[in-house]
Amino acid sequence: MNAPHLHRPLAALVLGLLAAQADGGAVTVNVTTPTGAAAGDAVVVFYPLDAAPAATRDSAVIDQINKKFVPRVSVVRTGTAITFPNSDRIRHQVYSFSAAKTFSLKLYAGSPKTPVTFDQPGLVVLGCNIHDNMIAFVGVVDSPYFAKTADTGIASLNLPPGRYRLRAWHPNAVAAPPSRDITVASAPLDIPLAIDVDATSTTVAAWLE
Amino acid sequence: MALRTRIAVTFLLLLAAVLAAALGAVSATNRANAEREVQRQLDVGVSVFSRLLESNRRQLTQAAQAVAADYGFREAVATRDTDTLVSVLENSGERIGAAMVVLTSLNGDVIATSGLHIKAGTPFPLSAEQRSGMTGDNATSLMVDNGRIYQLVTVSVRSPLPVAWIAMGFELDEKAARELAGITGLAVTLSVNSGGHWTDVVSTVPAGGVRQSDIVTRRIEMSRWGNAEVVAILSRSLADARAPFERLTKMLYLIAAISLFAFALAAFWLARNITRPLQDLTQAVDQIRGGAYDVTLNVERRDELGVLAEGLQLMQTAVQSRDQSIRRLAYEDSLTGVMNRTAFGAALSQALAGADGAPIAVAVINLDRFRRINEHLGYSVGDAVLTKMAARLAAVPSVNSAVARLAADQFAAFARLQGAQYLQAWGTSLIMALADPVFVEAQPIDITATLGLALATEDTASADEVMRCADLALEHARREKRALAIYEEALKPAARDQLSLLGELRRAVEHDELRLFFQPKVELKTGRVTGAEVLLRWQHPTRGLLYPVDFIPFAEKTGFIRRLTRWTLDHAIAQGARWQSQGLALGLAVNISADDIADLRLDSRIASLLTRHQLPPQLLTVEITESGFIEDPTRALRMLDAISALGVCLSIDDFGTGYSSLSHLASMPVDEVKIDRSFVQGLESDPEFAPVVRSAIDMGHGLGLKVVAEGIETEAAADRLRAFGCDVGQGYLYAKPMPLAVFETWLAGRERVPVVAVPVDFQTEDLSDTVTLALY
Repeated sequence: MNAPHLHRPLAALVLGLLAAQADGGAVTVNVTTPTGAAAGDAVVVFYPLDAAPAATRDSAVIDQINKKFVPRVSVVRTGTAITFPNSDRIRHQVYSFSAAKTFSLKLYAGSPKTPVTFDQPGLVVLGCNIHDNMIAFVGVVDSPYFAKTADTGIASLNLPPGRYRLRAWHPNAVAAPPSRDITVASAPLDIPLAIDVDATSTTVAAWLE
Repeated sequence: MALRTRIAVTFLLLLAAVLAAALGAVSATNRANAEREVQRQLDVGVSVFSRLLESNRRQLTQAAQAVAADYGFREAVATRDTDTLVSVLENSGERIGAAMVVLTSLNGDVIATSGLHIKAGTPFPLSAEQRSGMTGDNATSLMVDNGRIYQLVTVSVRSPLPVAWIAMGFELDEKAARELAGITGLAVTLSVNSGGHWTDVVSTVPAGGVRQSDIVTRRIEMSRWGNAEVVAILSRSLADARAPFERLTKMLYLIAAISLFAFALAAFWLARNITRPLQDLTQAVDQIRGGAYDVTLNVERRDELGVLAEGLQLMQTAVQSRDQSIRRLAYEDSLTGVMNRTAFGAALSQALAGADGAPIAVAVINLDRFRRINEHLGYSVGDAVLTKMAARLAAVPSVNSAVARLAADQFAAFARLQGAQYLQAWGTSLIMALADPVFVEAQPIDITATLGLALATEDTASADEVMRCADLALEHARREKRALAIYEEALKPAARDQLSLLGELRRAVEHDELRLFFQPKVELKTGRVTGAEVLLRWQHPTRGLLYPVDFIPFAEKTGFIRRLTRWTLDHAIAQGARWQSQGLALGLAVNISADDIADLRLDSRIASLLTRHQLPPQLLTVEITESGFIEDPTRALRMLDAISALGVCLSIDDFGTGYSSLSHLASMPVDEVKIDRSFVQGLESDPEFAPVVRSAIDMGHGLGLKVVAEGIETEAAADRLRAFGCDVGQGYLYAKPMPLAVFETWLAGRERVPVVAVPVDFQTEDLSDTVTLALY
């Protein structure tokens, strides 16, 4: 049951990487805290400054396992349809009062029939009405070039050559790092990035806008 | 202060002190208790108050959380539609009874309010923690708005992340304060300090507030709201707290007052109970002291006072009986039961005073030779005789009479006579009453009496005087050897002279009015004059020559006899010494009275006189009657020994009439005895006397003594005495007592002329009687 859900984002990632290898440079972003610790679950987005590729209708999955949204942090391109399967034996409700996408799924078990399409860029915070601690973040961005750092704080992607504006976000960021313009050529690019993260903060960093 | 008052006041003061101490202690304790109680209540109150607020907050928080968690609410919040929000807030507030609801952004900007005068967009004063977003719920605070105080709970609104704060306020109004007050039992005041000015927003304290002096308070700092500081003041009125104690104290004061009053009554009653009997006793003692012995005392009581009363009663009886016996002793003759001299005097005075001209006769009665009864038959017989005589006298029927015993053998009586002519008859009746023999132990004893009678006249008004008149009459009767004599004027001058006799006697010694007379002592065998008895005469300037009987008894009574004896000894020894120097070895005999024997210095006086005048002691003879050593034989004997030791001769006068035992005589240092004249004279008239005289002479010789006979008046008597072996004679046969010149002439003539009888003068010499102890 779980396997198809897991494969889809992986497939998207693999497709991205293959594309970078085909005609662009491999870009690695190493996100750390100011103390040098790796910052996982950080979102890095490259906004092309030259020409934006056409929108696609992507899809994604946010599962609910052990009263947790998995993954907790997701990044999707505007227009992506996300399905919210419920892998728990208990029912869950999913809602969002975020401006980018306001919706709610009534208490349900199993997989809902229709996915939710995130058609506006912005941050959408998801919650379960009956489980206050179930929180997930969905970053909806108008760019196909984005990645999420692994626990090592490293995110790698292939970008077509060109100029990009790099922006980063982390749910626990105390302050957003300044955007940075970079130029991608064929040569691989290593970009170190520092984000001030406070794990104890309950507020969420402002979205990229 | 009276004992009663003192007892009562002492106990009252003690009780008052105890009560005051107790009340003081109770009051102080009550006060302290009240204050401690108030403090304790306040301590508890503070704790309860805080818990109440906390409990309130918890409830409010839960209510607020419930609201904040409501999906619809969250949805409404998410819409950010102000009108909707306000209505939602109102609705939510109503649902849980909040007075106001505020929705703020996470950073405290007011989004919407309900029931509050804060505009949207103004910053809401969240706590620092809330603002930092670290902790949302559970924070509580107070808020002051528009003069009202709200208890504020703030909870976060999650969608699902905290997106806003919702603060709900519950007004701490009068009602809330009353609830708090009801639970804590304290008055609750909420006061706000706004810019340095305190305002009591809510208070359950009645008018006057918490700032009254007798109110104890606790301040609880609640919170600050901007520059508004809120404090809760819990208070309790001390007066209220004390009230129950005050009631107790008042009750105690009442009890104290009542007990003091009751105690005062009891104390006075008790004291009265003690002191009234004491007063009664005191009164009784006063009466007894006054001589009343019939005081009735209350001896019924069973306590100490009863014992005291009983003691007083007994004492009264004892005093009475003693008083009576003292009176008896003072006024009654203990032996015979008749009056004594004092009582007789008083009775006589009384009779004289009430005589009204009626003659009162007084008799002084002397029992003749009574002493011999004592000596020969014993004192008990003598006493019995006296008692019977007294009874006989008392039995003589007379009017208004009394009988008394004046001295050993002397009685007195007085009676009111019908007339002066009955005096002799009354006196005779007294004598007759005594005439019959007295039977003592079945033995008849003949008693004769000599009586002196006197009649009270206007001249002899006083009892003393009448008595003395009777005394003089008695003396006269004795002298006359009559049984009875009545006082007459003729006896009076002599009696009068007695008064000044002592002074005259002194003068007689000083002015050489005394004379020595000498009566020769003749050796019967040879007719030789061996010496002379020295006799005293008084050449009175107005009354002529007085004989010893006129003044010696008086001198013996007054003690002047020693002076006379000294004078006599001095002159006699001097004369003896003169004769000695003239070649005349004449012995001189001087009479010594009993009083002289009692003089402890008699021997030394005699010794010094002998030395001074150079007279050989053997030429001096001291004559004493046997009665001279009756009073204190031991002492008399010692004196006689001392005199004898000087070499002076001792002679027993009146030998045969006395009563000394032979053994007595044998033990005495006596050299001679003088046979009494009554024997010598009896020798002539009564032939039966001869053996008595003879045996007396033999007895004297048997004791180795020289025997002298006195009162020899006839040759016949002298012959008999000579025949009996009597050594020396003395009497009118040879010569009566003569002055010195006559004696010396007589002595010179005797050398040539044979002894011839000379006339006898009984009037002047022969007055031997029991009254006089010695003759001079």
